[in-house]
Amino acid sequence: MNNSILLLKTLLLSTSQRNIFRYCKDKKKRRKIIGGFIGAGLLYLMLMAFCVLMCIGYGMTGIIEAVPVMCALTISALAFMFTLFKTNGYLFNFREYDMLMSLPFEPRTVAAGKFMYMYVKSLPWYLSISLAMLIGYGAYAHPGVLVYPEWVILSLFIPVIPMLISAFLGFLTARISAGFRKTNIIQTVITMAFVIFCFSLRFIIEDLFRNDKVQSTLEKSMELSGSAADMYLPAGWFSDAVIRQNAAAGLLLIGVSCVLFAVVFAVVGSSYMKINSALRSHAASGKYRMSAQKKRSVVSAVAFKEYKRMTGSSAYMVNGMMGEILAVLLGILTLLIGFERIVGAVTQNAPFDYAILQPAIPFIIYFFIGMVATTACSPSLEGRNYWIIQSLPIEKKDLYKGKMLFNMYLAVPAMAFATLCMCISAGVPLLDSILYLILGFSLCAFSTAWGCVCGIKHMRLDWENEIEVIKQSPAVAIYMLPNMFVVMGLTVLVVFLGIRTDHRLLAAAFILITTVLAVLSYVRVMKLSRRG
Amino acid sequence: MPDLTDRKKTVLEIRDYSKSYGEGKKAADNVSLTVESGDIYGFIGHNGAGKSTTIRAVAGVLDFTEGEIYIDGHSVKEEPMECKKVTAYIPDNPDLYENLTGIQYLNFVADVFDIDAEVRHEKIMKYADMFGITDSLGDMIGSYSHGMKQKAAIISALIHDPKLLILDEPFVGLDPKASFTLKEIMRDMCRQGSAIFFSTHVLDVAEKLCNKVAIIRQGRIIASGTMEDITEGHSLEETFLEADHE
Repeated sequence: MNNSILLLKTLLLSTSQRNIFRYCKDKKKRRKIIGGFIGAGLLYLMLMAFCVLMCIGYGMTGIIEAVPVMCALTISALAFMFTLFKTNGYLFNFREYDMLMSLPFEPRTVAAGKFMYMYVKSLPWYLSISLAMLIGYGAYAHPGVLVYPEWVILSLFIPVIPMLISAFLGFLTARISAGFRKTNIIQTVITMAFVIFCFSLRFIIEDLFRNDKVQSTLEKSMELSGSAADMYLPAGWFSDAVIRQNAAAGLLLIGVSCVLFAVVFAVVGSSYMKINSALRSHAASGKYRMSAQKKRSVVSAVAFKEYKRMTGSSAYMVNGMMGEILAVLLGILTLLIGFERIVGAVTQNAPFDYAILQPAIPFIIYFFIGMVATTACSPSLEGRNYWIIQSLPIEKKDLYKGKMLFNMYLAVPAMAFATLCMCISAGVPLLDSILYLILGFSLCAFSTAWGCVCGIKHMRLDWENEIEVIKQSPAVAIYMLPNMFVVMGLTVLVVFLGIRTDHRLLAAAFILITTVLAVLSYVRVMKLSRRG
Repeated sequence: MPDLTDRKKTVLEIRDYSKSYGEGKKAADNVSLTVESGDIYGFIGHNGAGKSTTIRAVAGVLDFTEGEIYIDGHSVKEEPMECKKVTAYIPDNPDLYENLTGIQYLNFVADVFDIDAEVRHEKIMKYADMFGITDSLGDMIGSYSHGMKQKAAIISALIHDPKLLILDEPFVGLDPKASFTLKEIMRDMCRQGSAIFFSTHVLDVAEKLCNKVAIIRQGRIIASGTMEDITEGHSLEETFLEADHE
């Protein structure tokens, strides 16, 4: 068997839930795996239903031909972003590096095998989007029979190019940071800069389109997808291949994906060992002089341990702090550019009084800050070090309190800063601003405690790679997805109610509701901690 | 002591190897040594002396720029694949795939080395029986104790009959019977013409097992040679402590 395929097969087997289910004797663990499969199945169904409904919308407004480009762009954007977050941890600096590199594998083979592993693991998500869109497209566009297999085959290649670009950016990040002593910090800063740049790119592109002054929404959507296809060629190739039956476009997508794969891994392979050596080796100065030590309470000591755990891993830092960084940036931007201009940019200068959005300020900030609560993944992140906690005289409740305290340390200052910036910029009265700060605080408390409930209930210690629990664990998914959807819904609701009700009264009501939810979640954490 | 009647051949040669980690501090400084076929070469030193840094570079997992390392005449830098094909490395704390069963992991390594089904079956049976883990080969590695993981890693290292076996603290976590079995396997391998290069803190073991030894301190080799030349009639422990104080 080819070494690359053998490595890929083994990597997949080593994280296969089916394999664990088959050989694991722990009934509780087996039940969790079944629960995980059901949960994932439901998420797949929700995602597919959303995509089909979107296509129905496109079909009903007569712009069904934009669906292939939309499909390619959606998958590409997701593939790019998810890979960017995962490259460090999967491609570089992974746990079994020594074992793999001591075997007769070319560095290029190991890097490519790890990339292929990322690709295969995320492919079902991308395929579910693509197949759902194909169903919607098929129902309205009535394409020829050949379009169906062609669509499916090309869907396999759509994520490859954005994933390769993202992996290459990850490689550059690792390459640059490998030259510094504080590799983790440098790697985190560069990765965050890339992510923020990508977010801002979206607005720049939208702004470019808006300058076209296209009047009709329908024409504009077509124009948008057409322009996007021109800007991101692989989306255009996919669209050409399925709409115009252009075989050359399809072959071009496949060919470019393969060539890019070969080129990227030739480059990555050439300095793969050097980068990993730098990332995995830590300089020991040996110059420490014993100084006065500080005594901390158990809870503070756990919180400090969490802080060191985060700063010791760029994957954890990037994923755990991204919401806070974005909230702070949003606050600064609002202060510099102005609340009205920011709202205008998002709502495409829709003609309404922007003051009605003021009650939504805490929820807008919380949308970013609540995106990830470190408490959702930190119980699992103990991993094989869990014995340290288990063998120490620490009560579980203190352990979880420490983890929650750390998340509050992270979330509250960012929330307070962003809320104040937005309130100042929007000219929110002082009393309202104070109420928004309190609401923001109670939202942070809820997010922290609810994240901890998810983290404890779905704790998983036997992970191979920390990305599995930081990014892909059931705990994070169960915390994040409903949280994001509910916040979006609450933002709309609070604006709607704010038109009819006094803003202060509304803020006070939400403070009460979120505080109750936070307290309930906290009580649940305490109950779970007693269970052991 | 190993039977050294056969003609000796250099299996491992480390020449002026140095490795720095930031700010110019050298974890390994101008290390040179030679391991020949039939040698059981002990590499001893304090924690942080540079043993693992050197061993990882020999195993081809740590990048280095200064010096040269040759395995069976091939440069680790220039021909890493040729070197790895004849080498096996067992780290001090082997990170195996926890969600594979023992047999799945051993088959993976056997596949990498392209070992025939019959040969691998025979080898796995032989070594698994010797270490007493045959019954556990169908269990997930995650359910193994540290010692069992160590045993699985040792079996995986022996599957392809390496010319050079590199071990980092191999006796940590092994029960007395497994330690004895491993020592027997090491001696047997040397009789067959392989070479063994391993680090250890257990000086008694090194003294009884090795025919050559090198002592490393703060990245530098402070003594190396045959056991007789190094100890000069004293115990290895006395020699080590004396060398360490100089």
